[in-house]
Amino acid sequence: MSKNWNLITAPLRKANPVTVLILGICSALAVTAKLKPAIVMALSVTVVTALSNLVISLLRKGIPSKIRIIVQLIIVATLVILVDQFLKAFMYDVSKQLSVFVGLIITNCIVMGRLEAFAMSHKPWESFLDGIGNGLGYGSILVIVAFIRELLGSGTLLGYHVIPQGLYDFGYVNNGLMILPPIALIIIGIIIWLQKPEEEK
Amino acid sequence: MNDKYIFRYIIILVAIVSILLSAAAMWLQPYQKRNELNEQRINILKAAGISGVTDKNAEQMFQQHCTATHDGELPYYIIDGQITVIPMNGNGLWGPIWGYIGIAADGESVVGAVFDHKSETPGLGAEITSDNYQNQFKGKELLKNGDDVSVEVDAIAGATRTSKGVEEMIERTLKMYLPYLKHE
Repeated sequence: MSKNWNLITAPLRKANPVTVLILGICSALAVTAKLKPAIVMALSVTVVTALSNLVISLLRKGIPSKIRIIVQLIIVATLVILVDQFLKAFMYDVSKQLSVFVGLIITNCIVMGRLEAFAMSHKPWESFLDGIGNGLGYGSILVIVAFIRELLGSGTLLGYHVIPQGLYDFGYVNNGLMILPPIALIIIGIIIWLQKPEEEK
Repeated sequence: MNDKYIFRYIIILVAIVSILLSAAAMWLQPYQKRNELNEQRINILKAAGISGVTDKNAEQMFQQHCTATHDGELPYYIIDGQITVIPMNGNGLWGPIWGYIGIAADGESVVGAVFDHKSETPGLGAEITSDNYQNQFKGKELLKNGDDVSVEVDAIAGATRTSKGVEEMIERTLKMYLPYLKHE
């Protein structure tokens, strides 16, 4: 129990793929202007990392080591296409907002990184949990960044206005910088900064 | 692990994967087609000033309101026998933009406009899809000055290129339709 539980919780804080391993930054900048796409992206990546870890772990003894990267890519690409098609069919509005970034999960270093570092040498169930943990670790950062950016940049959360009109009448304005990608880098930097001392203990 | 094994392995893997993907595509395609069609219907009705159409009642509402459609080089839709809805295509900053504009029976004033985009910046160019921006077009008399089409709306701050793209798209498209609209 504790060992498996650790597989899920470790990537959330002390082995977080975004803030500690600095992976998956690119999409973390791109899809975090609004909260809803960030949540869907987080779930999509979690599904892909978990299932690709599971499949690769099941196949790990038969995969010829010379072409293991190609095999991993095929599995990841297949899962990403399935997720993309699924979103287009059942969550059309969100899939439009995410546009190319669902397809780009293939190039997300977290997915390939976990396959190479974990799934190739661990049992299926453990690999599956590791995939879930890393997906959620990535997703948690996405949601935190998107929360700050949408709140300060658009004055909304999930599309609902949360900053009272009175504040605008008083002279408050939405911060346009929050909408642009560079601010995501700064917010991630701040999260790393806050997290670092805790990690060194 | 010799080369023979590698070849066999990869061929079988690819075969399985392609069967899986084809099956998924065939299963999901009707849903995707329906989503795209419904989105188009919602946008056409919205450009004609009929709001509150959802994914669920789009088909029914469209059949109820759309009295004629015209395909071909210059396609248009007639809504409630009066409003002409014209599809438009143009360029934003990062990629294509498109939309629908509804022209009232007088052939001059705008009933409504809807825009959509492929890859404009969220919060900047992507704001052309917001009601705040689109509502500006309501009641504008774009075609009042004879043959000249002039779009005078507030551009989006920080998204000059996208706003210009919208204006250019409307002007260019409506000029093509001028003979038809004036004839009406």
